[in-house]
Amino acid sequence: MEHAHSFSVVFRGNTPSLWLSMSIVTVQLGQCGNQIGFEVFDALLSDSHSSQGLCSKRENEAYQASCKERFFSEEENGVPIARAVLVDMEPKVINQTLSKAAQSGQWKYGQHACFCQKQGSGNNWAYGYSVHGPRHEESIMSLIRKEVEKCDSFSGFFIIMSMAGGTGSGLGAFVTQNLQDQYPNSLKMNHIIWPYGTGEVIVQNYNSILTLSHLYRSSDALLVHENDAVHKICAKLMNIKQISFSDINQVLAHQLGSVFQPTYSAESSFHYRRNPLGDLMEHLVPHPEFKMLSVRNIPHMSENSLAYSTFTWAGLLKHLRQMLISNAKMEEEVGSDCVAQASLELLVSSDPSTSASQSAGITGIDWHVRPPLSGLPPLGKMSLNKDLHFNTSVANLVILRGKDVQSADVEGFKDPALYTSWLKPVNAFNVWKTQRAFSKYEKSAVLVSNSQFLVKPLDTIVGKAWNMFASKAYIHQYTKFGIEEEDFLDSFTSLEQVVASYCNL
Amino acid sequence: MGRRRQRVDPAAGARAGALPEAIAALSRSLPSGPSPEIFRRAKFDRPEAVTLAQRTSALWQLLFRVLSPLPVGNALASLALEAQAHLVKSALCSQGYPRLALAQLPEDGSQGSRELLLALSWLLARGPVPEQMLAQARVPLGDEMTVCQCEALASPGPPAPHMEAEGPVDVRRVQWLMGKLQFRWRQLVSSQQEQCALLSKIHLYTRGCHSDQSLGHLSVTEAEMLRDPEGGQQLLQTLERENQRLEAVLAWRHTELVFWRWMDTVLGTCAPEVPAAASQPTFLPWVPERGGGELELVVRELQALEEELREAVERRRAAWEAKAGGCGRGPEWSAARRASREAVEKELGALQQCWKQDSGPARPHGPHRLVRREDGAAGERDLRAAEVIRTLRSQEACLEAVLRRLQGQCRQELARLVGALPGLIWIPPPGR
Repeated sequence: MEHAHSFSVVFRGNTPSLWLSMSIVTVQLGQCGNQIGFEVFDALLSDSHSSQGLCSKRENEAYQASCKERFFSEEENGVPIARAVLVDMEPKVINQTLSKAAQSGQWKYGQHACFCQKQGSGNNWAYGYSVHGPRHEESIMSLIRKEVEKCDSFSGFFIIMSMAGGTGSGLGAFVTQNLQDQYPNSLKMNHIIWPYGTGEVIVQNYNSILTLSHLYRSSDALLVHENDAVHKICAKLMNIKQISFSDINQVLAHQLGSVFQPTYSAESSFHYRRNPLGDLMEHLVPHPEFKMLSVRNIPHMSENSLAYSTFTWAGLLKHLRQMLISNAKMEEEVGSDCVAQASLELLVSSDPSTSASQSAGITGIDWHVRPPLSGLPPLGKMSLNKDLHFNTSVANLVILRGKDVQSADVEGFKDPALYTSWLKPVNAFNVWKTQRAFSKYEKSAVLVSNSQFLVKPLDTIVGKAWNMFASKAYIHQYTKFGIEEEDFLDSFTSLEQVVASYCNL
Repeated sequence: MGRRRQRVDPAAGARAGALPEAIAALSRSLPSGPSPEIFRRAKFDRPEAVTLAQRTSALWQLLFRVLSPLPVGNALASLALEAQAHLVKSALCSQGYPRLALAQLPEDGSQGSRELLLALSWLLARGPVPEQMLAQARVPLGDEMTVCQCEALASPGPPAPHMEAEGPVDVRRVQWLMGKLQFRWRQLVSSQQEQCALLSKIHLYTRGCHSDQSLGHLSVTEAEMLRDPEGGQQLLQTLERENQRLEAVLAWRHTELVFWRWMDTVLGTCAPEVPAAASQPTFLPWVPERGGGELELVVRELQALEEELREAVERRRAAWEAKAGGCGRGPEWSAARRASREAVEKELGALQQCWKQDSGPARPHGPHRLVRREDGAAGERDLRAAEVIRTLRSQEACLEAVLRRLQGQCRQELARLVGALPGLIWIPPPGR
């Protein structure tokens, strides 16, 4: 692009279009997707308007401009319109979402950005995938196309959906596949909500494996949030007594916002990254077998506590690293008194009953972990408990925002023991630092990790689904609409493959 | 210098300024060409310390510029002199340059300016080098794209530096790197689409601004010139420099005959080349005749060692050939190689045929300027976008058919290999 420098001529006021962010189009699917989507846009914009950025005015303006371009388009009267397409099979949630956005006065959804029908799909994945999908394909894709065409510079899709539901899941899998066919060069990240372990829908495990296996084929990255984990954050860290979906979604939105708000590319850069989605994917998910990403954000607390807390980067990063190693979902699980011992030599407890993934509330563990002695663990997934004490990562990305961020020392994340043998820390680990603080947290750190964290939950779900499948329970609900036993078997195979790949790290 | 010239070519004395003129024109017509002084002195290989090194490295760099297919200003330009010299040697060798002496020159630029001068003349004689370099470096005023695929089918540039893997490499690491490459590729395609959208906008917004009615709107460069007068001045200067080089090329074409006559004399001053031996002669240390008996002993020992090594090499080679089943040698192999070469040529021919069929009337090569027109009127030599798109689409379809066929062959081969191993279940990875 020899003329790249000439593109500043594009008529965009003061900020050259070249420096603004590439745009992301969000597709909100089903009840879950729409509710979360609303919270995400709300969080992004309120952070963007926050007066406690702790940075210069010019910096703040660049931040705002970048955030706006990425997620919103501009209308004549100045109210930003979210770059989103809302899809649901019933109108109730969509209408709520639209009105909540409009009420905020700060932003809104596009007038013609929704697609909904009058009937639901009864949590039937097959119906969503085989009936709703093809029937409404044209309308939905046309909405998406219009949204993409509004973007000067289009980066990719962010698709929010649940894994185990009916509409959101089946239709989501179908839509993602369509996007793969029609936009093969655009990036696609699916944000999926992992259901509660003790969920209410009987067939949720079937839905989950079908969704996951389809998405693994057509999506580039799967960013997973577990309901259980977020629930715990609300309960223990935010001290919320009666946790509603709205609380959970706000925590989710906070975590996503801290990933997707503008960041600098390197210490000496003069402008914000243009293509965060692309950079993120290039760093974390280039390998086709390893696409599962988790997000961990620190600190996380209610506004009341926030006023009385101070943090150091050293403390935050130490906590974050412990969370990574122990596969903890939130900081308290690590145990605050072991933070003092920051030695790199870690010993693993060989007692399966104290496996790290069950370490909720355990304190006082001497945090010495040794990576698996034999080099490669045995093929197949023999004793998951034993093998996964030590959460091995394929790749990690740490994003730091706030005061004195340049002084933050991330050497702890470059330890080769944290990573798999075939990727050196210099390739596997990246850090993005930004001065501008996020959402009233003077310092915040988020870790996006491609590691073994989901192997156990995935294995559990696959196991349960298999047991049901072995007795052919409820299969007729799927075969009725074109999902055959073959498709189930394919799904089992692909997911076993995923589990095996992650176990063999 | 003048005296020498008169001795060699008395007729040229009447046109005493002809040679310097010719050399000066040549020097001006080449990109950052070495000064005429360097050319003249290059004829003499005498190691006059500083100036020899200077002119030798200048000539290495010039040859590098001429032979490197990529435009200036990329990473290649910052290569060290040794690397540039090495690439020049291999590029010349692959083009069939006959003189061995060049291949044997040291790469540090300490000597050999005469050989380099000969190499440069060889290249100049083979093709229109100054014109080609001018075309490469021209300043496009319009927004351009190429329509023909000649460059895509042309041979690749100088060989990339060879990298050895240290020990066995985990295949997952290779897959990781491939994935990164694919992401970059997709981003490149997105960037190109973005560029097209922006170009379209600029063309739309600047309708009616161009003084040339047949164009009607500004290109990016032109719009930039209006927006930034300083940049416009720089553009003007660049264009003037380009003009000067054009004039130099014309002058060169008028006077080059004198240059060639002079180059004959340069060739004459070189020692005649010994016909190349089939293999590198082994180089034994030169021992003076009247050395002591001890030295003779050493010489004999060295000769015996050489004999031993040669035998060992022969044994190894025979063993390897037996193992590899005559791969690389033997009538079977050469027949197989010939067959595969013919197959490739046939495919390439078919591909080109397939493209020619759909391309309609023959199109001029080289870049075309993009012009947006509402009325759809097109001149004789203009190409319509719709036609070009159609042609490119059919070419794409041809290529995709070939790709699918090759993928099918790969799959069959894999299946065959897998089938040969009993008890192995083959689970292909999920398609992307």
